[in-house]
Amino acid sequence: MWHPRSVRVATWPRLTRRGATLVIVGVLLFAVSLWFDSRDVLVLAFVGIAMPAVAALFVALRKPSLAVTRRFAPPVAEAGGSTLVALVIKNRSRRTFDGAHWRDGVPTTLTAAPEAILPAMGPYESMLPSGDDTVRVEYRLRMPRRGVYPIGPLRVGIADPFGLARVDRDVGTAHEVVVTPRVTPLDTALGSAASVDGVLNGLQLRTHPNSDELIAREYRYGDPLRRVNWAATARRGELMVREEEQRGDPEARIILDTALAGRARQAGHRRDADDSPHFGFELGVEVAASIGMHLLEHGYRVRCDRLDDPERGLASGESGAGYRLPGGDRLLLEDLARLDGPAGAAGARTQSAAGTHSAGSRGRDARMPGFAVLVDPDEHDARSLVALRSSIEPAVVFATEGVAGGIVDLLEKADWRVVRVRRAAEIASAWSGTTRPQPVAPSRPPARRPVAPGVPDAS
Amino acid sequence: MRPDPAPLSRAQRLALTAASFLLLATAAMALGPLIAGSGWWWLCAFIAGGVLFAGTGLRALRTPASLVPVLELVVLLLLLTLVFGGATSIALVIPTQGTFEAFGELMSGAQRTIEQQSVPAIPVPPLLFALALGIGLLAFVVDVLVQTLRVPALAAVPALVPVVVPGFIIEAGAEAPALVLTAAAYLLLLRVDVRVRRRARLAAGAEGEDAATIVPPNRVPIVSTLGASLGLAAVGLLTASILAASTPSISSSLLLGSPSQGTLFGRGVSPFIDLGRDLRRPEPRPAFHYFARDADRPYFSLLTLDEFEGEVWGAGNEAVDGDNTVDAMPRPDGLSDEVVTTEHPIEVIVDEVRTTWLPVPYPTSRIEGLSGSWFWEAGSLSVRSVDTNTGGQRYRATRLEVEPTVAQLRDASTDVPAEIEPNLALPEEMPPIIAETAAAVTAGTTSRYDAAVAIQSYLRSSQFDYSTEAPVAEGYDGGGFDVIAQFLEAKSGYCVHFASTMAVLAREIGIPSRISLGYTQGSPTQERVDGVQRVEVDSHDLHSWPELYFEGVGWVPFEPTPGRGTVPGYSRPGAGDGTGAAAPSTAPVSPGASGRPELDPDRGLAGQAGGASTANTWWQRGVPVVLLAVLLLLLPAMLRVGQRWTRRRRIAKGERPADTAWDEVIATARDLGAGGDDAETARAFAATVSERAAFQGAEARAALFGLRDAVERERYGPDDIVDVADPVLHGQLADVRAALLADAAPVVRARAMLAPRSLFDTARRAFGERPSVGA
Repeated sequence: MWHPRSVRVATWPRLTRRGATLVIVGVLLFAVSLWFDSRDVLVLAFVGIAMPAVAALFVALRKPSLAVTRRFAPPVAEAGGSTLVALVIKNRSRRTFDGAHWRDGVPTTLTAAPEAILPAMGPYESMLPSGDDTVRVEYRLRMPRRGVYPIGPLRVGIADPFGLARVDRDVGTAHEVVVTPRVTPLDTALGSAASVDGVLNGLQLRTHPNSDELIAREYRYGDPLRRVNWAATARRGELMVREEEQRGDPEARIILDTALAGRARQAGHRRDADDSPHFGFELGVEVAASIGMHLLEHGYRVRCDRLDDPERGLASGESGAGYRLPGGDRLLLEDLARLDGPAGAAGARTQSAAGTHSAGSRGRDARMPGFAVLVDPDEHDARSLVALRSSIEPAVVFATEGVAGGIVDLLEKADWRVVRVRRAAEIASAWSGTTRPQPVAPSRPPARRPVAPGVPDAS
Repeated sequence: MRPDPAPLSRAQRLALTAASFLLLATAAMALGPLIAGSGWWWLCAFIAGGVLFAGTGLRALRTPASLVPVLELVVLLLLLTLVFGGATSIALVIPTQGTFEAFGELMSGAQRTIEQQSVPAIPVPPLLFALALGIGLLAFVVDVLVQTLRVPALAAVPALVPVVVPGFIIEAGAEAPALVLTAAAYLLLLRVDVRVRRRARLAAGAEGEDAATIVPPNRVPIVSTLGASLGLAAVGLLTASILAASTPSISSSLLLGSPSQGTLFGRGVSPFIDLGRDLRRPEPRPAFHYFARDADRPYFSLLTLDEFEGEVWGAGNEAVDGDNTVDAMPRPDGLSDEVVTTEHPIEVIVDEVRTTWLPVPYPTSRIEGLSGSWFWEAGSLSVRSVDTNTGGQRYRATRLEVEPTVAQLRDASTDVPAEIEPNLALPEEMPPIIAETAAAVTAGTTSRYDAAVAIQSYLRSSQFDYSTEAPVAEGYDGGGFDVIAQFLEAKSGYCVHFASTMAVLAREIGIPSRISLGYTQGSPTQERVDGVQRVEVDSHDLHSWPELYFEGVGWVPFEPTPGRGTVPGYSRPGAGDGTGAAAPSTAPVSPGASGRPELDPDRGLAGQAGGASTANTWWQRGVPVVLLAVLLLLLPAMLRVGQRWTRRRRIAKGERPADTAWDEVIATARDLGAGGDDAETARAFAATVSERAAFQGAEARAALFGLRDAVERERYGPDDIVDVADPVLHGQLADVRAALLADAAPVVRARAMLAPRSLFDTARRAFGERPSVGA
């Protein structure tokens, strides 16, 4: 992590206000001394003019050799939270390093700590280090928004001893800090019985109808209470759960609208390279993160796909693999954090259109819960969702305000349940709304696959 | 540098003060070539140190920041009282009314001494007072800049004042070492400030939750940074010196036509006083009077003209020597012990004559009772002041009466001492009539003395007329050679012509000569006090007479002017027969009573001028003072108007127009005392203000709310929202202001205009005080 001698000039040496004042006074004095021919004052005039110039030269020639390490605690922060940036700055030169300011370089969307004094550092101690050549700096960085931010390099402003000129130099390299989307805790577990334990589990239950005594094991932290084998518990005197649950592979799918295909149509004049984040898109990411985390906590394997290309995962590398709990939550959040803004996905539309309807060809005969998070889809997106409906049960669409009414109608006709989410505060209530039985479901197809209603204690 | 909120510790303040003091003390050294001695520098250092360190002490006692500058001025006053107040003060430091009167006299004396003294000036008390006051004020300014406003870089400006001054007065200007030292002290101040600032900011830490915590090393050797500072300073100063030395001098005559002469310390005074005009004055003005024994009726000499400036007589330009105090004046040049001398006291009371030269008899051995600083000049023994004048003086001069015998004069050696040689100098070219006259008059004389007596007799002969008008009418007034030639032809003139002619003729035949300007013995009155007679001298007694040098006797006065003064006994033709000094002729003839035309050309002018001048002075003094006072009173109003104008410009240019307009509204409200707190949001302010009576109208209300919406949009909305058009903003701003003004009482409105509170709050904040609550 040490990066000695990685110092480069960020800007030209420039005069401070004090230096500029001195130059002005010097020039005035020079004019006065020429006008009145008082050569004695000429010396002072030249002091005023030459001193800042010499100081600028001094700071330009002065190359500090510093080593900088930067650590984040925590390294992955949630949006709206903050991370503590700890810097260790070490002087590698054999001279004392003094007269500097520091400021960590952060993207413009974050507010960095204001420029502060960098205390003097003693010469480098190769033997018997006593820490006099080291300055430790900590500051809290607020992370209001999701994303991946490069923090650094450290910008060290070096001034001459008289404060007449200064030069900014970059020390070290930038490090990334990941800001995950905000996760809203969702209270109710997914109620619909069918897919809770996955397809495989249902099959196994049928092949081993009475196997709970054989394969009961001790309760471990994190096991769902509904898998407690009460019979075995009563016999053993401690909580026992069904062992075969482990082989279940409950799976869920989240389809996120990343392209915002409808946006180009609606507001064509708005430039794509807009700095400010798209509010609806950020809300959608938040919804996806909340649902994903909730599902992961409840033992699901979560696939997170793009709406415009449902066979492609969010992170381009590991498509389709899905996320599993040990470590999966971090991966999911990080992938969501790395999601770029809604820009630039429009080009991928045509090439991925072919794969849209190949969903069924992968042999997913079993249905899984599916949650689509729509921000601003166009009709094409809606149709691909309709096409996916057959492999998804239950099928819920979380629609932000940007979703057009026609598309909602289209989806509801295809038996997608559409829940409106307007603000981040509504995520929890919207979620609990999905778990309640729908008051009116005229368009829902009456038939269900007979495989699904299997588990007796799942409700 | 921007104002730094980090509070300084006492040690840091002390370090800054010490550096400021060093800067001022070294800068004061630059005045060295102007002022003799070194005592003045210690006084300056004392005053500057007193003011600066008093400021530090006050801050250490946690005096409110805005009070410290005021108290520093008080300390300056106390210090000045301590040094200059003398007996007028209470407990040495507390000034009384008498102290301020003394200060006023010192100030006017300082003005005179600056006009009168030449370089190097003698540090007389008024000059010291001016120095102390100046350096005290500079110290005050430096302290405000360094400690209160925290802009030590600008301390260069006050420190430059004593540095630049010598350049205007003397050719060489300040000495280079003093200048380099001053620059070094300035750099030291900057360095100290940088260190102090860093320490203070590091110790204070940044405010707020997001501020960084910085763990510095335990201890850091500062030796290497010291090296960098010294090296940088040395390189900078060396560069500056080389640049200064290599800059070619642009002759000022190319730029200005003529080199600027010293105006602050005058280099001597044009000496040919307008004697003729005073003599022509119709009504004599009393100059002075004196009490003396009956036998003491000396001429009173003011100054001596002993060399030619071109073709005109002039006084020497020697600087005043500070050791030549009048309590012990030397024996006159050339006077040997053989000549009988006696000392007689004369008490002189000055009436109306105002000059820097003191009327004293030649020679005088000592003068007592003078106020101010008076010094004698070598040779002429004329006495002049550097800081005051003859006004109101009353003194006792001890006159040395020299009574040479004719034999002593006749036997005087013809050798002329080296220091008298210049008194023989004559210009290269002279009108031939001078040499011809000298040869003709002195033909047949055996000694210099006889020649001198012959010249005097020639000029006093009936061929010559005394007339103060003829030279003016014929156009040869003055003392030049052409004038002398014309006078010798016209044979009519007054004392200036007779005296200068005799002096030139004496030089022509080898007798050193000079001209004294002064008063004749005056006219005695009947008043007698303690056996001495009171003698009045008025402006008609102004006179000039030649003095000739005889080795062993010294300078001997002659009286060539017919009808004026007293002819000394030794210089009468045939006086050599007597053994002792002849009794002086007591036949002074006042020419004023006779021989003058009734219609004096100057009379009417003088009368008018007198009346007009008093009126003029009243006007000249009164009007600028009133104007200045009015300007000062209007200054806040003008600043406020300027601020409003600037804001209008910014609105027109579109630099955050709504915000600027809102600022103006807030400032107006604050001026009127109608709210406008810093902490208030725009919405809250608008809500409060709209309650007022003037905003019940729909138009004003709409303008206020429109402005409020615009400012909220600009402050909190996205940046790219299209701004409200300028004319709309202008209109709204004008409406809101008009409504606010209409709401206020006329008195409040006037106060808002003349003493805008928004400005004062800003100023108060700059001086580190909280703005007044509710303002």
